[in-house]
Amino acid sequence: MGNPAPALLQGTLDLLVLHTLRRGPQHGYAIAQTIHLLSDAVLTVEEGSLYPALHRLELGGAIEASWGVSENNRRAKYYAITRRGRRLIDEQQETWSRLSSAVDRVLAR
Amino acid sequence: MRRLFLKVLRRRRLERDLEAELAFHRDMAAAHGNPVPLGNASALKDASRDLWRFTLVENLWRDLVQAARGLRRSPVFTASALASLALGIGANTTLFSIGVELMLSEPSVRDVRSLVYVRLGEGSHTGFDTLRLLRDSGVFAEVAGEREESFVLWNDGTETRRLFSAQATRNYFDVLGVPVALGRGWTEADPEQVAVLSHRLWLRRFAGDPAVIGRTIRLNDQAFAVLGVLPETHRTLWSFGLSPEIYVPRHNDEDLAVYARLAPGQTLGDARAAVQGVARQLDASRPRSHGRRADAVSVTTVDGLGRLENRNIGSLAAFFGFLLGLAGLVLLIACVNVAGLLLARASTRRHEIAVRVSLGASRGRLLQQLLTESLLLAAAGAGLGFVLALATARGLAALPLPVPVPIELHIQPDARVAVYAAALALVATLVAGLLPAWQTARDSFVAALQRERRMRVRRTLVVAQIAASFVVLAAGALFLQNLWRATAISPGFDTRKTARADVQLPPAAYADRRRIDGFVDEALRALESVPGVSSAAAARLVPLTEADSSRATLTWTDTGERFTVQFNWNAVSPAYFRTMGIAVRRGRAFEESAREASKVVVVNATFLQRHGRGRELVGATFLWGDDPEPFRVVGVVADTKNVTVGEEDRPQVYQPLSQVASDLPRVQFVMRSAIPPVLQLAPIRQALRRVEPAAGLEVETMFSSIGMAFLPSQLGAALMGALGALGLLLSAVGLYGVLAYTVAGRTREFGIRMAVGARPSEIARIVLAGAVRLLGAGVGLGLAVALFATRPLAMFLMPGLSPTDPLAFASVAAVLALVATAAVIGPARRATSIDPARCLRRD
Repeated sequence: MGNPAPALLQGTLDLLVLHTLRRGPQHGYAIAQTIHLLSDAVLTVEEGSLYPALHRLELGGAIEASWGVSENNRRAKYYAITRRGRRLIDEQQETWSRLSSAVDRVLAR
Repeated sequence: MRRLFLKVLRRRRLERDLEAELAFHRDMAAAHGNPVPLGNASALKDASRDLWRFTLVENLWRDLVQAARGLRRSPVFTASALASLALGIGANTTLFSIGVELMLSEPSVRDVRSLVYVRLGEGSHTGFDTLRLLRDSGVFAEVAGEREESFVLWNDGTETRRLFSAQATRNYFDVLGVPVALGRGWTEADPEQVAVLSHRLWLRRFAGDPAVIGRTIRLNDQAFAVLGVLPETHRTLWSFGLSPEIYVPRHNDEDLAVYARLAPGQTLGDARAAVQGVARQLDASRPRSHGRRADAVSVTTVDGLGRLENRNIGSLAAFFGFLLGLAGLVLLIACVNVAGLLLARASTRRHEIAVRVSLGASRGRLLQQLLTESLLLAAAGAGLGFVLALATARGLAALPLPVPVPIELHIQPDARVAVYAAALALVATLVAGLLPAWQTARDSFVAALQRERRMRVRRTLVVAQIAASFVVLAAGALFLQNLWRATAISPGFDTRKTARADVQLPPAAYADRRRIDGFVDEALRALESVPGVSSAAAARLVPLTEADSSRATLTWTDTGERFTVQFNWNAVSPAYFRTMGIAVRRGRAFEESAREASKVVVVNATFLQRHGRGRELVGATFLWGDDPEPFRVVGVVADTKNVTVGEEDRPQVYQPLSQVASDLPRVQFVMRSAIPPVLQLAPIRQALRRVEPAAGLEVETMFSSIGMAFLPSQLGAALMGALGALGLLLSAVGLYGVLAYTVAGRTREFGIRMAVGARPSEIARIVLAGAVRLLGAGVGLGLAVALFATRPLAMFLMPGLSPTDPLAFASVAAVLALVATAAVIGPARRATSIDPARCLRRD
């Protein structure tokens, strides 16, 4: 492996997961893949951080989980975003933009 | 809620689900040819599992351990915070435990819930006939009666003493189930001549000897067998700590307080209705002129709020309420101190907190952790305060009070008090901890660090603190001034050159009232012949030690005009007014009994003013109640105080002692002395003892006997004053802390100023100006609050003393300014002694 994948900042993984789920219910592996692809393969979500994040979000009421059948006919746990989750996206997006622009400003000086 | 629900619901399935979910993920990755990220599978499972556990509790424990470690590392901080909290919580808990013991303690009886106190429309006490009627009516399972205020004479072989006794019906111990520490209570099978001793009497007069059980003692000149000794913590049904020294079976016709056992299943409402039925029968068979009994029936519980209802203690409860309010302010001041300390500490912990944030602690977690620290502090403070309160309350309760009845308060660790202390600890946690924790957590996220803002918060807190102590001090100052006024007020009679003797005669020997009259005459002659005694008089009551307040409808015989008057009553011998130094304003005092042909009274100036209606009262006659013979007013005398020195003057009616039927073998004497009365006490005692060796004697100077009259103002001044002093001390510490912190923070600035030529006096002025601004704002705010907050105090203050008394408020402002000056000296000196060179070289 050449460049190590940049580590995700605390909190941003939640935002990415929620954003991904806005397209519809997905299982954990699909979420990781979607983030990977959408980030042009820059971000790799490790299962070690993905599943705790999913469970945390579920406990917080931002997503809901149910067992379903996957595209290859296997039992898989599907996650779907809730209304609370959608609200959370807006909030976290704003925090994120403030943070990233602040970092930009710092780096620009 | 949702979390808890999910957790409980899903915890069991968690393990299996997690396994399946991860297996699916790996299979998918393998199928797509993606490398399975090398993760630590068990750590991952741990992390997921953690989410589903009760992390809050687990975190709390971790935080507690960490907070304890942190507190141990900074002992000075911890000690000062703990001292503040312990004092604040201790003061509150002390007052609360005394209030609980005084007003809400549970009487020592079996099954207190089924016991009720019954009023049959005859006042607080009921005649024995009526009690028997109620018992025979079968309304209650059982009915007992008790008279808690009477006296017996006890002769210990050498001297006769008056004991404060309770007399009760024969079934008293059976019905009430009063626990007895030694021996037993009496039953209906026992003879009449038996007694149960209080623990205190047993300890003091019988040396705590267990062999006293079965011994014979002489009471009222008769032999009584001692049956038992009450426990040390016996609490009477009457409560307020009133504790008779000895219990004996009912031996005279005094009215009794009626206590009854509810039948199983019987409610208070049932009982009330049934008692009303009994009262209606009584009204029908024995009607009385003043109102129907059935209209004044009450049945109340003997503990808790029921008791408060049937004792007239509104002002006592209000007084305690106000004290607790002030103590709450003191606690607030203490909390502000702790908040200030926490804020100061937060700035030194910035590094630690920054590390924590970068390790991924959320703001909520940080807040939780910081609050845990305050919780630990508050809990430890409450623990210390509880112990402190127990000791203080016991000390206070043991102080002898100048009241004519024995009062014993048994302050013990009490669940209600513990709960109260715990609640205070929670409040203190939030008040002291929330603001600093929130501020710290926010500061650590919003990077621009704000020492300035933090200082602003602390300054605001100190202003609040000064304002709170202003209010507490204002109450204290008002009560001090009240005490000062009370001692300056003349009670209307001479208290410096007079003495008083309270004589209890053996009832059997003095059953015939003519014998009492004979004793009075003989005793007066004996007293007047004591060298130095210039005059002596007999009286039923001595004002400011006891009072008899009556209400009657009188009719002027000339005009037929009827009027109702509430007055203080007394019966006195002719020399009373001269002896007491009460001026006769019009007419005359009483004359020797032989010469008063008709029924006569003397009234006081207030009576004349309120009910005279411009009439020349002397010589006027009125009808009193059912008595067909008119009463003639022969004189008008100056007003005296009767219950407390602070009371408003009330109408008073005096009757000649010789014209009043005496039902009690008790006489009081007042003596006027040319030499200091304290020197006369022994000769007076000897003179009375010679006339009746079997009498119980209490002889004391008038000045010491009227202590009770000053009690409300003394207690008020002592308690409020103590709270004020505590509040002042705590806020002085807070003010000092904030000033010292400001100076420390501006060391560099001051150094620069001095380097460019500022003189030390200018630096000192800056520091002083800061202090003056804080003080000014605090005093202004405190004044505004106090103007409203002290208003309810008017009910406890002497007439004429305003609860917004300018002198009291001004002196409070002066005291605060003085304390602020003391607090500013240290920081100001430090500021002026800054070495500019060293300070500038520092970084």
